[in-house]
Amino acid sequence: MQLRNTADTYGALAKFLHWTIVILIIAQYVIIEAAEELPDGLEKLTMITRHKSIGILVLGLALVRIAWKLVNKGQPAPVPMPRPQRIAAAAGHGLLYLLILAQPISGWMMSSAANYPVTFFGWFQLPALVGANEAMHEFYEEVHEFLFTALLVVTVVHVLAALYHHFLRKDDTLRRMLPFGRRRAA
Amino acid sequence: MNHRSLSRAGAFAALLLAATATHAATAWTTDAAQSRLEFTATLAGGDFDGAFRRFKADIEFDPADLEGSRFRVEIDTASADTGDADRDLALKGADFFAVERWPGARFSADRFVALGNGRFEALGQLTIRDNSREVRLPFSFKPVADGTRAGLAGGTTIRRLDYGVGQGEWQDTQWLGDEIRIRFTLQLQRQKTTSP
Repeated sequence: MQLRNTADTYGALAKFLHWTIVILIIAQYVIIEAAEELPDGLEKLTMITRHKSIGILVLGLALVRIAWKLVNKGQPAPVPMPRPQRIAAAAGHGLLYLLILAQPISGWMMSSAANYPVTFFGWFQLPALVGANEAMHEFYEEVHEFLFTALLVVTVVHVLAALYHHFLRKDDTLRRMLPFGRRRAA
Repeated sequence: MNHRSLSRAGAFAALLLAATATHAATAWTTDAAQSRLEFTATLAGGDFDGAFRRFKADIEFDPADLEGSRFRVEIDTASADTGDADRDLALKGADFFAVERWPGARFSADRFVALGNGRFEALGQLTIRDNSREVRLPFSFKPVADGTRAGLAGGTTIRRLDYGVGQGEWQDTQWLGDEIRIRFTLQLQRQKTTSP
């Protein structure tokens, strides 16, 4: 498997970034839901701290992914499909990228507003994005939760679209992003 | 009251004034609105700041009379403000300041050393909860407006566990660091003394 994308499939790096981000976002949900169940204390603090570090990791990986997409200009080429569908796919992907970036940023703002430090696994501290302000903290918390719902909805559409391509149109759309996907014999 | 007892009372008052005057260096009033007492703590490798909104600083200080100088600072630990209601509540609780048992922290210093260049060091006792430790507190003293006002600023680093701030699971310093940086800025107004 080669690192770069080719004309008809995603390369190893694009696949790695795609699936790592998927796994991390699922982990993020599991961690924060578990943390919410806990009483205030060290265990809760530890879990929220991990959630924040992983969020920063997702933000970094998403930026690398976008940069890599730009490097692999136009590759792989879109699977042949009607123009409206191609536009819908591009818009959906654009929205996914936007939400994957906005979600950690809103969490980061939420921490800054509550005067909590954001670090990358304790290695280094990120600067506060906004000043401490309790009312704004509540606001960013709402935004963070809303963005999660939006991300979930767009992801469901994304998955359904991939399954539609795979099972109904029987094309390579899903296969070329699968970790060990092989191209359908032409 | 007859003439004799009046003069006796006057002599006693004068004596009292003289006694106080020899004891104390210049007494200052702290302008609470212009003064700050802040701290920085470390949480999971990142710093966050907080401040004590209420504290009372009785400062008697004269660079020319370090012997007669003294600091008496009372800090209302329930006024710790870190910008997050949950965390502030935790700080008031039994694991941290335990404000219901020990509502105040105290710093009291009677020994001073001149370091030169307007800088000094106070040697005193810091008491938080029921624990006292000797603390060296470097600070600068800058008189302004013909010595009627002055700025006093300094800070030091203490270890919260020396004072029992952080009980039980919070004794773990991996997430909440042991070292707490403290800094203060006081705006002082010289107290008017009635000359005998």
